Parts: sequence; structure tokens; C-alpha cells
Amino acid sequence: MKEAIKTASAGADRRRGISGDPLGANSEIGRKLKQYYDELVSDEVPDRFAQLLAQLEKAEAPGRKD
Amino acid sequence: MAASQGFKTDLLATIPSLRAFAVSLTQNADRADDLVQETLVKAWDKQQSFQLGTNLKAWLFTILRNEFYSQMRKRGREVQDSDGIMTARLAVHPAQHGQLDLKDFRAALERLPQDQREAIILIGASGFSYEEAAEICGCAVGTIKSRVSRARTRLQEILQISGEDEFGPDAISTQVMGSPAA
Repeated sequence: MKEAIKTASAGADRRRGISGDPLGANSEIGRKLKQYYDELVSDEVPDRFAQLLAQLEKAEAPGRKD
Repeated sequence: MAASQGFKTDLLATIPSLRAFAVSLTQNADRADDLVQETLVKAWDKQQSFQLGTNLKAWLFTILRNEFYSQMRKRGREVQDSDGIMTARLAVHPAQHGQLDLKDFRAALERLPQDQREAIILIGASGFSYEEAAEICGCAVGTIKSRVSRARTRLQEILQISGEDEFGPDAISTQVMGSPAA
């Protein structure tokens, strides 16, 4: 059930692009924009960020200052 | 602490989008990653002020964007290029007939004024609503709409895409109606 809702809202998001603004799937600019961005999003994330968050978490764990 | 564990997981999940937005803003992969790092540190410090149930991605994008502009100000660089002064200096690189190359598109995107570029990225690529984008940019919804519209027109001009917007605003309704090719 939850899955179905999730899928439906993803579909709505997709459709919103077409009907709600001029950057929908019918527009070449819209398509290229997606392609450009998706390529960036799928770029492999360097380890430094996971390490950073692990450090932040570690620094916070013992003796929180509140 | 369990809460910060969940927060950390959520932050990790948002990193790919944050990096993509950062690259779109900075046009530079190294600067983008520094910006993401700053954003994560800031977000971690401010996690108490994040309201559960609200949009974490939008919250993080706001932090990242604020950080970007504050860095720009520190560097004393011109943030706004609404008149396209910088744009005009760059050579025109029209698209070939037919398929538009992604490289050309990227170059065209770089030539947009900063405010227009971020608006069209937030709306057309990051999946935010106009309302969310307005909140992220700290401006009115109408401002976002007009920036997106100008960005789109500008991109079409730079890329010399014809047929999409040749007849003015009506082209949008033409698209909504759909064409057989779509």
C-alpha cells in the first residue's frame, strides 16, 4: 500500500513537469536540463563526505554539551 | 544518539543532489565539493533547528545556497549578471541542426546569469516546486517563475533552438497540448 502511494506520487512529480511549467518532457531544454543534472547526481560520491559525517557524529556522541 | 544517526543517514542520502546543485552553482567540481562539505558541517550544527517532517532536501539546499552566496561576497565577486555582461563576452556556440549536444547545453547553462541558472535548475532538474524554490532562494514565487522563463528563453537563444518558443508565450500551451513526437 505504501509502495503504491510512493509510486503514484513519483508519477505525479513527473507529470507536474509536463503540465505545471514550460520545462516538461516535451521541451528540448527540459530534457537536456534533466540529462545534465542526472549525470551530476549519478556521479560517484567521494568518501570524504561519509568520513566527515562519521567524525561529526563521533565528536557529538560523548559528553554532549547540552 | 539515535536521532542523529537518522539525521546522518538522511544527510548521506541527499549528498548526490547537493553535489549536483553545487556544481550547477559554482561550475567547478572542487569548489562544489568544498561547498557541500561546508553545508554538511553547518547542517550538522543546526540540526536542532530542522523541523522533522519538513523537507530536508529543501532545507539543505537553502543552507548550501546561502553558503555559496556568502563565499561569493567574501571573494568580492560579482554575483548578479542579469544584464549578461559576462555572457556577452563569451563566444556564441550555436547548436547543430537536430540533436542538441549535452556539452553545448552545459556551455549555454554556464552563460546564464546566476539567478536564472539556479532557478531553472531548481525547477527543471532538482524537482522542487515553485514555492519550494522561492523559499530556497528567499524570493517571491513570481520572481522564480520569471527567472525560469527568462532562463529558458535565454537558453533557446544561445542554443538557437527554433520551433519551441518562436511564437512567444503561446509556445508553452503548444507544449502542454503535446506534439506527436512527444
